Amino acid sequence: MEISIAAEKLFSIGALPITNAFLIGLVVSALLIFFITRVTKRPSLVPHGLQNVIEIIFEALLNLVESVTQDKKQARQFFPLIATIFLFVLTANWVGLLPGLGTVGLSHVNEAGHATIIPFLRSTSADLNFTLALSLITVITVQFTGIAALGILKYGQKFFISPFHKPYGIGTAVGILELVSELGKIISFTFRLFGNVFAGEVLLTVMLHLVPYFLPLPFMFLEVFVGFIQAVVFAMLTLVFLKMATLAPEH
Amino acid sequence: MEVLAKLGIDGKLLLAQAVNFAVLFWVLRRFAYKPMLDFLEKRTVRIEQGLKDAEAAKEKLGAMEVKEKAVLVDARKEAQAIIALAEASAKKRDVERGAETEAKMKRLLADAQVKITEEHNKALTQAKAEIGELVVLSVEKILREKIDVAKDKELIEKYLP
Repeated sequence: MEISIAAEKLFSIGALPITNAFLIGLVVSALLIFFITRVTKRPSLVPHGLQNVIEIIFEALLNLVESVTQDKKQARQFFPLIATIFLFVLTANWVGLLPGLGTVGLSHVNEAGHATIIPFLRSTSADLNFTLALSLITVITVQFTGIAALGILKYGQKFFISPFHKPYGIGTAVGILELVSELGKIISFTFRLFGNVFAGEVLLTVMLHLVPYFLPLPFMFLEVFVGFIQAVVFAMLTLVFLKMATLAPEH
Repeated sequence: MEVLAKLGIDGKLLLAQAVNFAVLFWVLRRFAYKPMLDFLEKRTVRIEQGLKDAEAAKEKLGAMEVKEKAVLVDARKEAQAIIALAEASAKKRDVERGAETEAKMKRLLADAQVKITEEHNKALTQAKAEIGELVVLSVEKILREKIDVAKDKELIEKYLP
């Protein structure tokens, strides 16, 4: 048993190393596209089967987005990003719970000479490359959404406040803090998701090695729950940040 | 940057993950979210319209039922009026016809009486004439025989007591 913070490399295509987490990310994307577009290509007026599930998810998400934005048009604008984050993160988190986690993979001898396994299955969210990429996409989207909604000057006033107006200096300091907090968002997004999912995987792997039967079960349930919560949290925070970026500064 | 490497962060992989997510986002937005949300919206509108239509149809049906009842009541009243009228006219005609028949009977009776009287008179007259003739004939016959005194006397005594 070897626990590595970084996703393990399986093979590489040209200069691009393919890690297990990235491979799972591709598989999850393909599955999502396959199953969702199969329904949305030709939705039937009376829903059944998979269409029911997808309709429920979409409608719940749309209602959530509408309840935060209080604006139908803006909800339709934000929905794609929120939904994609939720669906992808949720699926990626749950894939990591499938049997085979940390146990099925390529055999490998590490530097110390111990024979170990490079598992095929590793949740995409348990890879900092993915969580960081997603955080960057989110925070950059938030900035552009704010600029598009308010104009670059007005949006800039959120961060750069003249020290010669009413709160004198205090406003300026708050603006700089706001700017720093935008960077903080990237870091908190990245490590919140990574930390929760990676910790879950480590916990399950350790449990599985200590007591293979029944004991890991409650932790499995817990991780199913955590995986869902983290997907909701990531999507929800993105949504709130987007909405906040489109609100005019108050001063 | 060494920290990033220790955490497993790799520029190439970072970019690859970002591109993967971007592709997923674009494909889902183009082929899933837009058509599906449009479809759901359309269906909501359609269902609302359907419910409204059903409500309207129900109201219309109720109004029509009321109207139908009113028409039926009217029709029944009219029918009763027609029946009453027919009955009255039939009764009137009965009475008229009865009167007519009676009058006719009376007339016939009167005619018959007149005829009977006439016939009677005629018969009487005829009988008188015939009797007279007969008398004459018989007288003549009797007179053609020899009338003796005795016979004469007998005849006189016989007929003229």
